[in-house]
Amino acid sequence: MMAQTSTVARGGGNSSAPARRRSHRPPRRPSGLPNWAVPYVLLVPGLLVIAILLLYPLYQMVDMSFHKVGLRQIRPNPQPAEFLGMQNYSDVFSSDLFWTSLRNTVVFAVVTVALTLILGTLVGLLLNKLGRKMSTFLVVGIMAAWATPPTATAIIWKWLFDSDAGVVNWALNLLPDGLSTLVFGRSDWSGQPWLNAPSTIYVVLVIAVVWASFPFIAVSVLAGLKSIPSELYEAARVDGSTPAATFRKITFPLLKPVFSVLLVLSIIWDFKVFTQLYVLAGGTTNREAFNLSLWAYTEAFSAPPKMGFGAAIAVILTVIMLVITAVYVRQIVRTEADVR
Amino acid sequence: MKFGKIAATTATTAVLAIGVAACGGDSEPAKTDAPAASAAASGPKFAGQTLTVWRLGAPNDVQTKYMTDLDAKFKEQTGAEVNVQWIPWPDAQKKWTAALAGGEGPDVTEFGNDQVAAWVAQDALADITEITKSAPDFQQIPQNLWGYETIDGKIYAAPWGGGTRAVLYRKDWFDELGIQAPKTWDELVAAGKKIVEKKGKDVDGFAFNGGSDANMSLSPFVWSAGGDFAAFEGGKWVGKLTEPGFKEGFQFYTDLVAKDGVSGKGRLSQNSVDISQRFAAGKVGMYVTGGWDIATIKEQSKGKVGEDKMAFFSLPNKEGSGPAPAFQGGNDIAIWKDAKNPELAAEYLKLAAGKEFGTRYAKDGGLLPLYPDALAEYASDPVQAPFAETFKVAKGFPASPNWAEANDTKAVLQNAARAVIEGKKNVDTALADANTELETILNQQ
Repeated sequence: MMAQTSTVARGGGNSSAPARRRSHRPPRRPSGLPNWAVPYVLLVPGLLVIAILLLYPLYQMVDMSFHKVGLRQIRPNPQPAEFLGMQNYSDVFSSDLFWTSLRNTVVFAVVTVALTLILGTLVGLLLNKLGRKMSTFLVVGIMAAWATPPTATAIIWKWLFDSDAGVVNWALNLLPDGLSTLVFGRSDWSGQPWLNAPSTIYVVLVIAVVWASFPFIAVSVLAGLKSIPSELYEAARVDGSTPAATFRKITFPLLKPVFSVLLVLSIIWDFKVFTQLYVLAGGTTNREAFNLSLWAYTEAFSAPPKMGFGAAIAVILTVIMLVITAVYVRQIVRTEADVR
Repeated sequence: MKFGKIAATTATTAVLAIGVAACGGDSEPAKTDAPAASAAASGPKFAGQTLTVWRLGAPNDVQTKYMTDLDAKFKEQTGAEVNVQWIPWPDAQKKWTAALAGGEGPDVTEFGNDQVAAWVAQDALADITEITKSAPDFQQIPQNLWGYETIDGKIYAAPWGGGTRAVLYRKDWFDELGIQAPKTWDELVAAGKKIVEKKGKDVDGFAFNGGSDANMSLSPFVWSAGGDFAAFEGGKWVGKLTEPGFKEGFQFYTDLVAKDGVSGKGRLSQNSVDISQRFAAGKVGMYVTGGWDIATIKEQSKGKVGEDKMAFFSLPNKEGSGPAPAFQGGNDIAIWKDAKNPELAAEYLKLAAGKEFGTRYAKDGGLLPLYPDALAEYASDPVQAPFAETFKVAKGFPASPNWAEANDTKAVLQNAARAVIEGKKNVDTALADANTELETILNQQ
């Protein structure tokens, strides 16, 4: 990573230490394994766990997506599943719900990832400015939001946005009428339903998800900031750099690898948000509010279960995420290569 | 939290995989009947065994007592223990799905009679034709009450209690505000408006159900206006949603929220369980449900909304010439096809739905008993009279195995209603679109 690279450039430090130790390690191999085999043997347990818990289900999902799978096909003493070829996929693509779900998924991910990263970075910068005690206090506070289970998060926000008893409508009603009309074009918020129309459901969803995920970004950014040598900032100050310029010229370039990783993780998390949407949309009756995850779930598990069809949707979602992740991982690798 | 998120969102994958994985080891060889099978289950023949029974709904004191008595009697007869699990109605479909997929299900389960066809199509229920023919009690249940349970000449469930829907209302509020039980649709709206006006804007005068079981609440309005959902004509299902009768009822139902404001706009996806919880919290004046909710609400409100504050009236038809036809529901008891011991399950079924416990099941659960002499007593009971009255004109939903998909999974009419209430479509467009979709779903293979 780049942060480490910079320490290497300064002539040593923690990150280069393990490499040196490895090269000077005395040759002792009680196991008798050839040197090259040791890492592979050590990797086997981990790989096995991944294969059983991740790769096999993934394979099953892809396999199911080519078959017509209902309950008869997966219960004990299953009947053989009928092979459909690409039919599940063509059904997915020709369904009206696919396009609304895809739009909801993508728009939500783009907005939420952007907001999470911006807010997280700003809070991270703030935490770095604070003294040790205040900073610890705040970190503990925001990590509580991050540690809240998604269901609890969603229920809390659902209550806050309740049309009649919610604190949000109450607060909006407290605004001076003129201001409220100027900003929102209305002054009466009594009974405003937030969780009917997809657009407002997603407004609440974005808020709920950003609220729960920015702390992770903030703390990661804080950790990255701590690794930037203070000499750089001192030099910037001596040269009379503005805070914005300092961020653009020093902080951002040095934290770019951190941002890349956080970006990929956020995209993956936000693309497949499920729990919060399920709770906020009030189950699976509101089809216009489906994203790909909720749609796949509904098709696969509501009577009559169409698990092959649901699996096809899940495969499409997986492929979209793999493509995005692959592009970004390549970019990260390339950036690292450039630096070297 | 992230792991929670990941876990939840990959649930699809994971559950599918578990389901498939579970197939490998579970293939039990068919049990050969023990020689003793012919001996009547008089002694503790099944001592040490446990039978898993799924009951639907939320348990309350009366029902818990009923189950305790039933299970004690069962133990006396067979020696087997009973493990009762309560499944909330709206979760039932998902629980059965999971049970079928995972192979870990009940031995005996309660069932909504309109759901039997769909689950027989999924191979979930055991054929009990022989059991019903050999049980003398079951011969007393009138033949026309076995309609939902008989598929291709075979019986898959025993009717347990007859149910229909009426309107549960806050009697104390009606008395306080001087409202009479509505006799026409106009009076219904007027009563709802008065409740909202006096009890606060966050109270639903007449709660709009737009959740998973919305059609229970919508159907009386469309049926009493002369409409219906679909009819089987010329070998296929033909949607009837665009006909004037259906439109009139649907329009009235959506207007409850959109025009009359007797139900809050922010609660379009609440189902009957959500509404009953709000009722228990004093936030609902009237809603369509069955008799079983009284006991549950009393318990949930910790006695604050007691029996003296609740009563039922039959939903009237538009002009007030009689009760509107309500959903002819009812609960069944069935043997799960994967039951570990089908013989023991059969004993339970015979006991539970037999005359003694079958009648008591209906009475304790706020349902109509199916044994004719017990039902006759109901006409004079003030609490049960609205149901007995409505039961005479009750109707059913389209008897297609695919109805569950239109009703619940695709939520065709719930989405149409939402589009109308939010002003995205007019009633004609919404119903035309819904009709096309309903036909596609009902006619799929």
